[in-house]
Amino acid sequence: MKLSIRAGLGVALAAALSLGLTACGNDSSSDDPTSGAPDGASIVVATETIDHLTPGNHYSAYIAILSLFTPLTSLTQDEQLEYQQAESVTSPDGLTWTIKLRAGWTFHNGEPVTSDSYIDSWNYLAYGPNAWVNSGQLRGVVGFDEMQGENPTAQTLSGLTKVDDLTFTVELKVPDRQFPIQLSDGQTGLYPMPKAAFDDLEAYDHFPIGNGPFQMSDIWASDRDDIVVKAYADYKGAKPALSQITFRPYQDTNTAYTDALAGNVDITAVAGGKTAIAQQEFGDRLYALDAPGVDLLAFNSNDPRFADVRVRQAFSMAIDREAINQAIFSNSQIPATSLTSPSMPGDPAGVCGDYCQFDPVAAKALLAEAGGLEGQVVLLFVGGWGQEDLFQAYANQLRQNLELDVVATPSTDFADFQVRLENGEYALNRARWGALYPSQQDTLHSLYTAAGDGNYAAGGYHNAEVDALLAAADGASSLEESFAGYRQVQERIFADFPVIPTFGNRYLWACSERIDQLPSAAGSVYFARVTLK
Amino acid sequence: MAAAARWGKRLGGLAIVFLGVTFIIYLAVFALPGDPIRAFAGDRPLSESVVSALRAKYHLDDPLWRQYLDYLLGLFQGDLGQSFSGRPVAEQLANRWPVTVVLALTAWVLEIVFGLGLGVVAALKRGSLIDHGLLALTVLASCVPVFVLGVLSQQFFGVELGWLPVAGVRDGWPLSYILPASVIAVFGLSAVSRLMRGAMVENLEADYVRTVRAHGFGEGRIVGLHVMRNSLIPASTYLATDLGYLLGGSVIIEGIFNLPGVGNLLFDSIRAHEGPTVVGIATALIVVFLLTSVLVDALHALLDPRVRRG
Repeated sequence: MKLSIRAGLGVALAAALSLGLTACGNDSSSDDPTSGAPDGASIVVATETIDHLTPGNHYSAYIAILSLFTPLTSLTQDEQLEYQQAESVTSPDGLTWTIKLRAGWTFHNGEPVTSDSYIDSWNYLAYGPNAWVNSGQLRGVVGFDEMQGENPTAQTLSGLTKVDDLTFTVELKVPDRQFPIQLSDGQTGLYPMPKAAFDDLEAYDHFPIGNGPFQMSDIWASDRDDIVVKAYADYKGAKPALSQITFRPYQDTNTAYTDALAGNVDITAVAGGKTAIAQQEFGDRLYALDAPGVDLLAFNSNDPRFADVRVRQAFSMAIDREAINQAIFSNSQIPATSLTSPSMPGDPAGVCGDYCQFDPVAAKALLAEAGGLEGQVVLLFVGGWGQEDLFQAYANQLRQNLELDVVATPSTDFADFQVRLENGEYALNRARWGALYPSQQDTLHSLYTAAGDGNYAAGGYHNAEVDALLAAADGASSLEESFAGYRQVQERIFADFPVIPTFGNRYLWACSERIDQLPSAAGSVYFARVTLK
Repeated sequence: MAAAARWGKRLGGLAIVFLGVTFIIYLAVFALPGDPIRAFAGDRPLSESVVSALRAKYHLDDPLWRQYLDYLLGLFQGDLGQSFSGRPVAEQLANRWPVTVVLALTAWVLEIVFGLGLGVVAALKRGSLIDHGLLALTVLASCVPVFVLGVLSQQFFGVELGWLPVAGVRDGWPLSYILPASVIAVFGLSAVSRLMRGAMVENLEADYVRTVRAHGFGEGRIVGLHVMRNSLIPASTYLATDLGYLLGGSVIIEGIFNLPGVGNLLFDSIRAHEGPTVVGIATALIVVFLLTSVLVDALHALLDPRVRRG
């Protein structure tokens, strides 16, 4: 039943819908959405089970943490960079970046937000032995490598330099024009922590003190307890319309959904398989938010049957994305025409060309031209995530349109899926990437370079030409120029066709009748900007 | 003396069962395919140094026997270990078990009251429409999968009628527990009522009852004092064993009703390949189960003098 996929921001959000168990009853004071805060501007948001609340060391607390912290930058709904805690983030060469902070901002305990807040937090995050799970978000900074391993040679990031209380510089290993976007919401590891945090990090994990629009209301004692946050009176950014938010963990998305139907939950994510029924039951209170994630089918690069690029292209053309979108997702997803989500700034829509268009006749001809294909084709996907229908549909289409023996095979769970990938027990596998920040950079680097976190899932595809084109795009002199660079990268990758892009993601959220607007960017809901009727 | 020896033997047996079962569970969790740290990380893999630091922290690179030994040593010192997200297993159990205990006892009481009650009614009215109706109902009820009952009752009482909370424990006992406990109790209740009816019918026809009746005792006294008490043995054995199961938590019902109990914790932990947590919970469950089996024996002796003397 659990739908969650944990790739990054996207997934964190989708998973937010997915769920756990609830409060132990010791904090029952504030959970009733209709009677919580004195002015009634209090809502309940369903989340998955939350592991930690420390921004540098959590997997699943994204939506709660976003309300407690303000990032340095964010992207607006129309994909423009907007400064938040930062007053400016500038660089003459893309290599050394100067971050100026807004003056007068404070953490919830009154401590000012300074360049030291960032430097201390980032040093702690980057230090390998601390093993904070989001430490990789700093890997582009000079000095990161020296802090890894069992006996690191450095304790601090040599690339960070304090200029004054509100200014510091960051030196990167290679020029990177996407750096300001990397500082946006999804990379929670880059959020600042106050000095008080380091006195007792264990206590901080249960009562994080941030720089965001909301502050913790009570200590979060157990992982199944509600997390209750209330508006922070001294917040210097845009004041939230809400006075209080209760983040309630559910183990099962379906239970959260039912609770939303009963009016006990104001905002919940909806599993993709429930789209049709949710459209009926929630009508215009169902939001489909463009998200930075993309679904793919990746070829096993060690399978000689797929050595000919025409075979791979034929497979892509044999898939009717429109029909699947209609049948499985009730048209809530976006048929893919590039390697990145259409909502990604600069996404080169259509770069895949005819090969992402459904054309069974051409597909069959292309396959025949390449000499056909023998034996069974195993389409491996993750079992237990509610994706059986989707993968059966892919397999059926490939079977019928190419007249091949294609079987959709589920793994037992995600760990088993990884084992099967490593053992090469597949011909095609389910892959996806949810970018942590809205730049094509994250998706392209993660999936199509040898060092990328998701490279194993993308069939292990990488080559020097792609690396060089990516480096050039990253180092472009402006964002616009980098978009042109990423288009070239995508064209180059498509020449090899290592994966079949299937869908750009949209995350579905259902709201109660009390919610007027669900503001979002890059698939994330901005709770601070939610308004009530 | 004989009793002491019997109990000593019994406790020794418990210790062996305990060791064996914990080891098997430990093995089973490790036999799950895939690396626990990577399972925990999901689609967003961790950097190498984080992985190695986490592996070191949880001794995942040690051989299995070593890990199990370490675990046992910790156990004897009262340390149940830590989950991968860094939470002490003991603390998690302490947080979760009260919910499961309340749920289990509520369901258990429902089984006793309605199970025994319906059984007695069916026995006294045996052969009547009521008897047949109850038979049909209880058979039907025990055939419906528990998650179907759970989701339907949630839709009907929670969403349509709005009488009871859909999920969670925020409304406390009894409101939050009525639905899930009833759903869980349905199956046990059916079994108890069938057992009770069967034993009652048998005893009502027994020679000793005829003798008692011949002595001129009233029907109420005959049924209440003699027949019911003697008929309780099969049902009470079932009920005591069932309590052991109930205290283990219901993965499905706790999931559907979003109750933070141990069943739920177990489900999450298995999914995350959390060896120490799974073994910790299972260990605690085994203890409870073994204790209830001792309870069954004691209860048996109380109700049946033949057992006591034997």
